[in-house]
Amino acid sequence: MTIYRMKYNSILAIAVAIILSSCTAGPDDTGVEFAPNMYHSVPYEPLSQITNEDAGRWVNSLDPVFSFDSIRRVDRSQPAEFYNSNPNNAFGMTMREPVPGTVKRGQYLPVRIAPDDFEAAARLLVNPTDSTEAVIKNGKLLYERFCLLCHGAEGNGDGPVSTKYFGIANLNGVAYQALNEGHIYQVITYGKGLMGAHGSQLDVEERWEIARYVKALQKQQQ
Amino acid sequence: MLKIDLSNLKTTGLLYSFVFAFFISSPALAQEDTTAVSQFDPEVVAAGEKLFKANCTQCHAIRTRLIGPPLENIQDRLERDYLIRWIRNSQQVIESGDDYAVSLYEEYNRTAMPAYPFTDEEVEGLLAYIEVESNKAPEAEVATTGEEGVADAGTSQLTSGYVTTILVVLVIILVLILIVLGLIVSVLTRYLKEKKDLDESELEVVRQRIDLGRFFRSDAVVGIVIFIFTAVVLKTLIDGAFTIGIQQGYQPTQPIAYSHALHAGEYQIDCNYCHTGVRKAKSANIPSANICMNCHSGIKNLAGKDGISPEIQKIYDAIDYNPETGEYGTNTKPIEWVRVHNLPDLSYFNHAQHVEVGGVECQTCHGPVEEMEVVYQYADLTMGWCINCHRDTDVNTKGNDYYNKLVELHARNSKEPMKVKDVGGLECSKCHY
Ligand code: HEC
Ligand code: HEC
Ligand code: HEC
Ligand code: HEC
Ligand code: HEC
Ligand code: HEC
Ligand code: HEC
Repeated sequence: MTIYRMKYNSILAIAVAIILSSCTAGPDDTGVEFAPNMYHSVPYEPLSQITNEDAGRWVNSLDPVFSFDSIRRVDRSQPAEFYNSNPNNAFGMTMREPVPGTVKRGQYLPVRIAPDDFEAAARLLVNPTDSTEAVIKNGKLLYERFCLLCHGAEGNGDGPVSTKYFGIANLNGVAYQALNEGHIYQVITYGKGLMGAHGSQLDVEERWEIARYVKALQKQQQ
Repeated sequence: MLKIDLSNLKTTGLLYSFVFAFFISSPALAQEDTTAVSQFDPEVVAAGEKLFKANCTQCHAIRTRLIGPPLENIQDRLERDYLIRWIRNSQQVIESGDDYAVSLYEEYNRTAMPAYPFTDEEVEGLLAYIEVESNKAPEAEVATTGEEGVADAGTSQLTSGYVTTILVVLVIILVLILIVLGLIVSVLTRYLKEKKDLDESELEVVRQRIDLGRFFRSDAVVGIVIFIFTAVVLKTLIDGAFTIGIQQGYQPTQPIAYSHALHAGEYQIDCNYCHTGVRKAKSANIPSANICMNCHSGIKNLAGKDGISPEIQKIYDAIDYNPETGEYGTNTKPIEWVRVHNLPDLSYFNHAQHVEVGGVECQTCHGPVEEMEVVYQYADLTMGWCINCHRDTDVNTKGNDYYNKLVELHARNSKEPMKVKDVGGLECSKCHY
C-alpha cells in the first residue's frame, strides 16, 4: 500500500532536489533568478548590454505561452524584457565617447598644442597645482599606480614589466634630467615614442601631480 | 707606393710594434701587448660604463638587437665625428638627409633616439667602454635558473607522488588482509563441519548463514536508511533553494584569454592602472583596448617568442592595428567581455565610496584576483553580505574632515568605534532608491 506512495514521493523529492541544485551558478552559467523583471535594467547600463531582442520574452505575461487569445496580438516587433542596447549606435553599444569639441563641466579647456610638439609644451604649460607636501605625496601614490610598473620605484626604468617591454627610459638619465614639468605633462597625456598615451587613465590634475613628483624624484636620486 | 710582402706581414707587424713599444715604452702599450684588452684608461672606461648603463642599456646591447641596433665595434663602422654628432642629437643627423642615418631610422621603425648633451670626455668614455666590451669574448650562455626551477617543481611533484603511492599500498594491504581473513573463516568452518563431537548449540553457530535479505528488511536498517535519505534530500533542497538568484562561482569564458594571474600577479600591474574608475566613480570600468596597447604595442608574444600570439592578435583585430607597420585602421569593433559581477537593478553600489573613502581592499570583496587565470565571482553579493560587513566594519575617518562632527557626536553616546551602521549603512534608501 504505502510502499508505492513512498516510492513516488522519494522520486519526486529527488527530482525537485536535482532541479533546485541545477539552479546553482556554474563556470558558464549564471543560474536561476527568481525575480528577473526586477533584476534586468530598463535604462541603458554602462557595462552590460543584451543585443538579443528575444531575450526574456518568456517573462512577458502577454506572451502566447501564457495566454492563448493573445497569440495574434503579441507585438513581436517590440524587443523583449531583457533587451538592452542602443540601436542608434554602432554595434548597439550603450557607451559613447564624448562628442568631439565638447568639454565636461568643471574641466579645463583644452590646450591646443600638437601632441608631438614637446618644445611648445615645455614653454607654454604651467603646473596649476602647488608644490606642497600633500601634492607630492599624492603624486607619489599616483606614480606608484601608473608609472612604477615600467619606470620602477626609483625611476631607473627597471619596473616589473621592463623584463618584457624594452626601451623604458631611465628617468634619472642625462637626457631626461633637464625636462621640465610641462614636457612631462605632455608625455603623460599623449605619449612619446615607445611610451603610450596615459591621458585616458589620468585626470588633468593627476597628471600635473605626477609631473611634480617625477621632478622631486629626480632630485632625490641625484 | 709601399708594398708589403704578405707572407711576412705577421712578422713585420710584430717587429714594428716591438720596436714601437721599445721606443715609447709606455706602460699602457706594454699592457696592451700582454693582455690585449684595453688601450684605455680604466677610469675613463668605468665612467663610460656608468653612462652607458644609465642612458643606453634601455635600448642598446653590445651584441643583440633590442630597440636600437647592436653597438659591437661601432667605432670601426662609423667615423668618430659622425658618432659624436649622432649621440649628441641623432634627429638632427637624420634631418640633415644623411642617407645612412635615414635608412637606419627607417629600418628601426622610425624610433627616435633621445638627444644627449654629453661633453667630449663623456662621449670618449662611452665609446671607450663600447670598444672594450666589443673586444671581450662573448659570455657563455648559462641557463642555471631554468634548471633550478625544474628541479624545484620536480621535488614537490615527487612528495605528492609519494603520498599517493603510500595510500595505494595501504589500500592494497587492507584488501589483502580482508581476503586472508575470509579464507581463514572458510577453512575453519569446513574444519569444524568435519568434526563430529560438537553439541547442538555449537553446530548452530557453524551452520549459521548470514541472511542478507532479513538484515536489510529489519526495522532499524530501514529507519536509518530513510533518515539518511530524507536528510540528504532536504539538504540538497534547501541548498538549492538558497542558490536561486545567487551567482557566486560564476566564471564565464572571456573572448580573450586575458589572465589576472599574469598581469596583476606576476607583473604586479596595479588594479588602478586598468580599472580607472574604481577610485573616482560608481563603476570600476573595464579597460579599453588603448590601455592594453600601452604594453602590447611592444609585447607581441609570450616569453619573447617570434610571431604574434593568437590571443594578442584579437586585441589588434579589435582596434584594427597592423603590427607590421604600427598603423591603426578605421575598421574597429568592441571587445565583448562577459560581465561577471552584476547586482540587480534594484540596488546601488558605489566603488569610490568603498575603495577611496572607506579604504576597503579589492580582495575583501573580489577574492584573490591576482591569482585568477579567469575571474570568477568570489562573494555571494547578497544583501546579507553587504549588511554584515556594514555592521562589523569601522568607518575610515582618519584624515577625512567630513567625519569630524559625526565622530564627536558618536563618541558622546558610545565607547565603541564608529561602524558603518552608525552612519546609516543599514538604511534601506542608501542602497535602494
Ligand atoms: C608601458 C610602460 C610605461 C609606462 C606605464 C610609463 N612609461 Fe614613461 N616611458 C616608457 C618608455 C618605453 C619610454 C621611452 C620612450 C622613448 O624614448 O621612445 C618612456 C619615457 C618617458 C619619459 C621621457 C620622455 C622623453 O622626453 O623622452 C618620461 C618623462 C616618462 N616616460 C614619464 C612617465 C610617467 C610620468 C609615467 C606614469 C604616468 C610613465 N612614464 C608611464 C614606458 C612607460
Ligand atoms: C629610446 C631608445 C634609445 C636610447 C635610450 C639610445 N638609443 Fe641609440 N639608437 C636607438 C635607435 C632606435 C637607433 C637606430 C636609429 C634610429 O632609429 O634613430 C639607434 C642608433 C644608435 C647608433 C647608431 C648605430 C648604428 O648601427 O649605426 C649609435 C652609435 C647609438 N644609437 C648610440 C647610443 C648611445 C651611446 C646611447 C646612450 C647614450 C643610446 N644610443 C641611447 C635607440 C636608442
Ligand atoms: C592589465 C589590465 C588589468 C589589471 C592590471 C587588472 N585588471 Fe581586472 N580586468 C581587466 C579586464 C580586461 C577585465 C575583463 C575581462 C575579465 O573579466 O577577465 C577585468 C575584470 C575584472 C573583474 C571582473 C569584472 C566583472 O565583469 O564583474 C574584477 C572583479 C577585476 N577585474 C578585479 C581586478 C583587481 C582586484 C585587480 C588588481 C589586483 C585587477 N582587476 C587588475 C583588466 C585588468
Ligand atoms: C603594463 C603592461 C601590460 C598591459 C597594460 C597589458 N598587458 Fe597583457 N601582457 C603583459 C605582459 C608583460 C605579458 C606577458 C608576456 C610574457 O610573459 O612574455 C602579457 C601577456 C598577455 C597575454 C598572454 C598572451 C598569450 O599568448 O597567452 C594576453 C592574452 C594579454 N596579455 C592580454 C592583455 C589585454 C586584453 C590587455 C588589456 C586589458 C593587456 N594584456 C594589457 C603586459 C601588459
Ligand atoms: C565593498 C566591496 C567591493 C570592493 C572593496 C571592491 N569591489 Fe568591485 N565590485 C563590487 C560589487 C558589489 C560589484 C558589482 C557592481 C554592480 O553590479 O553594480 C563590483 C564590480 C566590479 C567590477 C565590474 C565592473 C563594475 O564596475 O560593475 C570591477 C572591474 C571591479 N569591481 C573591480 C574592483 C577593483 C579593481 C577593486 C579594488 C580597487 C574593487 N572592485 C573593490 C564590490 C567591491
Ligand atoms: C567589506 C565590507 C563592505 C561590504 C562587503 C560592503 N560595504 Fe558598503 N560600506 C563599507 C564601508 C567601510 C563603508 C563606509 C565608507 C565611508 O563612508 O567611509 C560603506 C558605505 C556604504 C554606503 C554609503 C553609506 C553612507 O552612509 O553613505 C553604501 C550605499 C554602501 N556601502 C552600499 C553597499 C552595498 C550595496 C554593498 C553590497 C553589494 C556593500 N555596501 C558591501 C564596507 C562594505
Ligand atoms: C547595504 C545596502 C543595503 C541596504 C541597507 C538594504 N539593502 Fe536590500 N538589497 C541590497 C542588495 C545588494 C540586494 C540584492 C541582493 C541580491 O541580488 O541577492 C538587496 C535586495 C533586497 C530585496 C530583494 C529583492 C529581490 O527581488 O531579490 C528586498 C526586498 C530588499 N533588499 C529590501 C530591503 C529593505 C526593506 C531594506 C531596509 C530595511 C534594505 N533592503 C536595506 C542591499 C541593501
